[in-house]
Amino acid sequence: MNILDNYQKNKKNIFFTENKDVQNYREKLLTIFENDRFDRKNNESLKNINLKNFFDFKYKYLVPEEISVINNYQDDNYSIVSINGQCSNFKDDKIEITKILDEDYNDFSKNNIIEKNDHFVNLNSLFLNSGFKIVIKKNNNIKIKISNIVTDDALTIFQKNNYFCEEGSSVSLIEEYENKNNSTSNILNVIKLEKNSKFNHFLIQDNSPNHNLIITSHSSCKKASTYNQKVYNFSEGYVRNFHYSKLLETNSEADLQGIFFLKDNNTSNNKTFVKHLAGECKSNQVYKGILNDRAKATYFSNTHVDQVAQKTEGYQLSKGILLSDNASYFSKPELKIYADDVKCSHGSTIGPIDENAIFYLRSRGMSKIAATKMLISSFINEELSSIDDEQMFQTIQKKLVRYLSKVK
Amino acid sequence: MFLEIKDLSVKIENKNILKSLNLNINKGEVHAIMGPNGSGKSTLANVLAGKEDYEILNGKIIFKDNDLFDLNIEERAQEGMFLAFQYPVEIPGVNITPFLHSAINSKRKRMNQDEIDNLSFAKLLKSKASDLGINIDMLKRSVNTGFSGGEKKRYEILQMSILNPDLAILDETDSGLDIDALKIVTDGVNKLKTKDNSFLIITHYQKLLDYIKPDYVHVMVNGSIVKSGGSEIAAEIEKDGFQKFQ
Repeated sequence: MNILDNYQKNKKNIFFTENKDVQNYREKLLTIFENDRFDRKNNESLKNINLKNFFDFKYKYLVPEEISVINNYQDDNYSIVSINGQCSNFKDDKIEITKILDEDYNDFSKNNIIEKNDHFVNLNSLFLNSGFKIVIKKNNNIKIKISNIVTDDALTIFQKNNYFCEEGSSVSLIEEYENKNNSTSNILNVIKLEKNSKFNHFLIQDNSPNHNLIITSHSSCKKASTYNQKVYNFSEGYVRNFHYSKLLETNSEADLQGIFFLKDNNTSNNKTFVKHLAGECKSNQVYKGILNDRAKATYFSNTHVDQVAQKTEGYQLSKGILLSDNASYFSKPELKIYADDVKCSHGSTIGPIDENAIFYLRSRGMSKIAATKMLISSFINEELSSIDDEQMFQTIQKKLVRYLSKVK
Repeated sequence: MFLEIKDLSVKIENKNILKSLNLNINKGEVHAIMGPNGSGKSTLANVLAGKEDYEILNGKIIFKDNDLFDLNIEERAQEGMFLAFQYPVEIPGVNITPFLHSAINSKRKRMNQDEIDNLSFAKLLKSKASDLGINIDMLKRSVNTGFSGGEKKRYEILQMSILNPDLAILDETDSGLDIDALKIVTDGVNKLKTKDNSFLIITHYQKLLDYIKPDYVHVMVNGSIVKSGGSEIAAEIEKDGFQKFQ
C-alpha cells in the first residue's frame, strides 16, 4: 500500500499542503502508515474490510461545478446541499457557514488528530479535500438539514466539518447520505458544544452497494451541554460509524445511538466511545442491528470514567437480530472506571429472532413472514417512536418497509 | 367428527412423549384432560397448534375434515384452532391492536370474508376488553410485556374472544391465577361457549372444572389417555390424586 506515493502524486489537489505546520503533521501521519502492519485481527477500524479497497485507492476529486444551496426557507430552518463535501458561505444573525477554503487554517489545525489505531481518520487528515464550518450563534435555536451529494463515480472525498455551538444555542441537524455512485466518502465531524448548548444530530445513511461511507465524529461538551446522536443506517454499501464524545465539564451529557439494517454481503463497523472527564455527567450508548444473508457487523462501545468524574451515570447496550445463520455480529462493550461513586452498566444480546414469539404470533393466524416483520419492527420500536420530526419519521418508515420487503 | 386424534406418538430430543394417544371431540363439546406433571399434556397442546420442535412418529389428526399435519401453524389458527398458552410470550414493542387486527384479517381472508377495517376492529377490541374487565390502557401496552400472571391469562382469553375459534385449547389457564382472576377468565370462556365450538381444557386441578363444566374428562399418564369419563373422574382425582392411574 503505497500511501506516500499516492499523497505525493496528488498533494497539489489537497488542502493546506503549502502550510509548514500541516506538512510536519502529515509527515507524522505518513510515518504511521509506513510503519503499521495493518493488523486486521486486533485493529477495530480494520475488521471485516478489504484493505486494498480503502488503502490502495486511486485518488480522485472533483471540485463541484454547481453552487450548493443554503436555503433559509423558514426563519429557524436551514437546508443545505453539500456537494462533494463542499457548500457555499452563508451568514445571518443565527448561523454562519464557512467553506473550508475560506477558513483560516489555524481553526482546523486545532482539531488535528493523530490516531494510532484509526487509519481512516489519519487518511482523512492526509488527503483532506473538502469540508465546512458551521457556527450556531449564542442563544439561538435552529434546525438544519444537510443533503450530502456525491456527483461522480470513483470519487474519494476526504471531508472535515467543524460544528461550533455557542453558549445557550440549540440545533437539530438531520444529515442525509443517499448516494448511488461507487465513490468513497470519508468524513470527520468535529463538534464543540459550549455551556448550556444542545446538539441533536440525526444521520440517515442509505447509499447504494458500491458507495463506501466512513463517518467519524468527535464531540466535546462543556458545562450542562448535551450531544445526542442517532444513526439510521440502511446503506447497502459499507458504512463505518465511529463516534467519540468527551464530557469535559459537569452536568454535560452524551447519547450515542444507532440502528443498522444489513443484508447480502454488506458490512458495517460501529464504535462509540464516551470519556467522562468531569463529575455529574451522563452518557448512553445503544446500538441495535438487524443482519440478514451474509452480512457482518461489529460494535465496540466504551465508557471511560476519569478519577475526577464522580457521580457519573454511564449506560451501554448492544442488541442484534441475526436473520440468517451466515450473518455475524461481533459486539464488545467495555467500561474503564477510575472513580468510585458511579453508576455504570453494559449489556449485549445478539441472536436469532425469538422462535417462541414467532410461534405465538403464528398461532394467532399471522404468517411466518408477517410475524418476522412485526418482530423486527418491534425490536426498533423504541427508536422509531422517539422520532419527533414527522417528515423524518416517514422517511425512516419507508426505508424500513423497503428493508423488510427483502426479508424472506 | 370435529377433532379426531388417532394413535398419535410424538417425540422430542429422543424422548417419546405421546404414545399411541387417541381422542375424539365433537362440535359443541367441552373436554378436559387432567394429568400429573410431565404426562405430555402441554406437548399435546403444542402439537395440535403446530409447534415445530416435535417429531411425529405415528398417527394422524383430523380437524374439520383437514389432515392437521398438512396445515402449518397459521393455517391451523385460520381454520379455527386457538391455543391459550400456559406461559404467554412477552413481545416488547408489539401492540395487541395491529397484531390481532392482522391475525383476524388473515383468518377472514382464508374464509373468503371481507377484512375488518381499523375502526370496526378498534370497537370490537374495546367491547371485548370491557367484557373481560380489561382496562383500555392495557390495550396500549406491548403484548404480555410486564403483565402479571392474571393479566396475561385474561389477555389470552381476550384474544380468544376476538378470534372466536372453533376449537380452543386452554393449556393450564388456571395456573398462577387467584380465585377472582380465575372467575373472570372462566366467565369469559363460558360466554364464548356455543353449540358450534369446542373446548379442550388442560389442567392439574378440579378447581377450574368447577367453573367450566366439562362434558368429558380424560386422565393422561405417561403420554397416553388411560381413563375417560364424566366429571366424576375430576372429583376422584381431587380426592385420591393421580397415583392410582399410574
